[in-house]
Amino acid sequence: MNRHRSEARTVHAFATSAAAGLALTVSLLAGPVRAEEPSDPYMGGRAVYTKWCAPCHDPGVIHPGTNALTVKYKGVKPGVLLEWKDLRPETVKFLVRHGISVMPQFRKTEISDADLDALANFLSRNTPH
Amino acid sequence: MRLPVGVSSTDFASAVAEFGQAVGKHWVFTRDEDVDLYRDAFSPFLHEAEELVASAAVAPASTEEVQQIVRIANRYKVPLYPISTGKNLGYGGSAPAYSGSVVVDLKRMNRVIEVDEPNAFALVEPGVSYFDLYHHIQERKLKVWIDCPDPGWGSVIGNALDRGGGYTTANYRNHFDSHCGMEVVLPNGELLRTGMGAIPNAKTWQQYKSGCGPWIDGIFSQSNFGIVTKMGFWLMPEPEAYLRGTVSLSRYSDLAPMVETLNYLENARITSGFPDIASPLNGYPAIGQLQLWNETGPPNQTQEHLKLLSTAKLGYSPELEAYGMKSGIPYWQLWLSFHGPAEVIEAQWQAAQRHFAKLEGAKFHVIDRVKLPIDPAKADAYHEPELGVPSLRAFSIGARSPWNPTPSKGHMWFSPIVPRTGEAIIEANRVFSEAARELDMPLFRSFSMPACFWERCFIFILATPVTEDPATNKRYREGFKKLIAIGGQHGWGEYRTAPVFQKSVMEVYSFNDRVLQRFHETLKDAIDPNGIMSPGRYAIWPKHLREKHS
Repeated sequence: MNRHRSEARTVHAFATSAAAGLALTVSLLAGPVRAEEPSDPYMGGRAVYTKWCAPCHDPGVIHPGTNALTVKYKGVKPGVLLEWKDLRPETVKFLVRHGISVMPQFRKTEISDADLDALANFLSRNTPH
Repeated sequence: MRLPVGVSSTDFASAVAEFGQAVGKHWVFTRDEDVDLYRDAFSPFLHEAEELVASAAVAPASTEEVQQIVRIANRYKVPLYPISTGKNLGYGGSAPAYSGSVVVDLKRMNRVIEVDEPNAFALVEPGVSYFDLYHHIQERKLKVWIDCPDPGWGSVIGNALDRGGGYTTANYRNHFDSHCGMEVVLPNGELLRTGMGAIPNAKTWQQYKSGCGPWIDGIFSQSNFGIVTKMGFWLMPEPEAYLRGTVSLSRYSDLAPMVETLNYLENARITSGFPDIASPLNGYPAIGQLQLWNETGPPNQTQEHLKLLSTAKLGYSPELEAYGMKSGIPYWQLWLSFHGPAEVIEAQWQAAQRHFAKLEGAKFHVIDRVKLPIDPAKADAYHEPELGVPSLRAFSIGARSPWNPTPSKGHMWFSPIVPRTGEAIIEANRVFSEAARELDMPLFRSFSMPACFWERCFIFILATPVTEDPATNKRYREGFKKLIAIGGQHGWGEYRTAPVFQKSVMEVYSFNDRVLQRFHETLKDAIDPNGIMSPGRYAIWPKHLREKHS
């Protein structure tokens, strides 16, 4: 078991340093989220993502949502939600309000409709309209 | 619009309108699509009519607004069901115990009112999550730790009121025990402060727990006697260092003396971190290793090992024991952790080893020696809550992964308290594995290990899956109730349960013609004569519903 643990640590180190998620991970741990650039058009949505989605969906095997999507889509799509290029705003809104698998739905006291609009826009920013 | 049973549509409409005047219209939810957000995401009644559902929800932002809501509810006899963050997903989530109740969603009451570093306490509102309190402390660079359960998005107050547990040191792991002082809106709308808070202009509300006279804080946990709007918590001063080591033992018969030694060391405070017992030979991980197992897979087992496990009884056969000795796989492995000055915790670890060395062949290994504070970005190299860092990694339980290709729809926790002895571990496995086999329940199938969240006792915490298939869910629900009753016959009881099982669990607590439940009912009738507060929570029903539901 001890040997297993040291292997797992290597995986963590890789997962943490490998991807663009590092900045988000750090900012989450450091406190409520602020976007890096004041001119960031997705500032609000990014903040909602970081508060509510990142703990499960940031890059790396330590994030259960990312792990689940990696296995579900078997390389057809990335496991990392931030890298999706075909996520539609309506899909984001539906899943946040209905949940899926072990992810619960989120109430309006947690993610308001305005926050959800911003989140949906942010997560679909790479999706061609 | 859905209606609570026994409330006329006119009265309900009036109540809803008045709720709107109290909190602002857009914080009252009555449309189905909004009220559905309060469904229990892990309900074992998925796709069934019996699912517990709310009629509406109202989200106050202050204690005064909570008082107004309670007074309105009394006026129209509308049942309320307060939730804090509603995130105890394996124990009922944000859904009411009585269908048709109006959920009072306290998430907007999210102020960290105070963190006092020199005196190491916090005063918070119910919407404050462990993440929120952790970030508040980190931003201000305060040298205090929180103690959090596995998912960090739960409410500090809600988890304590549900009597949840965490992972740092023994003084803080019991979240209800580590609270100090409450503010409660009573079912008649009056505001009560407990402990020293009962003194106007109190100076020690968060520093002395019991005040004078009967100490009533306990009646506001796992109950329906009020809405807690503020609660104080003692925090641990940030330790200087952390040491974690394992004690490995190779014989089945080592279990009982291992537990006895652990108990002595913990009760004497020679060790005070979360003691974590694994059985590597039985393939049962330490809780602190569970998320790693879910993420990167369990250790490989040889064909020979798997075959021996399939024929072992209660985790034992002489051949399995011989295999473990030959392969160097410990039968039992106890993870001990220590927080404090390096020289102190090294000495504690030395003393612990000296005591365990009395068990023949005991092997010791240091896993971590960490100078604190650690860089929060590196906390993911550990089981974060053991270092006071919240996360959501525990959702790897049940989530899809290479080792779990078919995720569940959630889970319900079966969590009986049993004695802190090796014999009790084996006895509980014998009783529950026989029962689970007969009931065809996916619990206690092989040898299961308990947890040590609290001092003095063990608790088994085992997940029963919720599936897409109502027939399977029904079988699991019925089996779950039978397991509760079987535990009760052996003198064991659940520490906490979801509303759908609260009646079954409280039936176990039946000493002297169920005097405890009758006492709860006497209190209920006195404190909440209209029966508006969380009817049915922990099987405490108001008079007008008692006969129907008891």
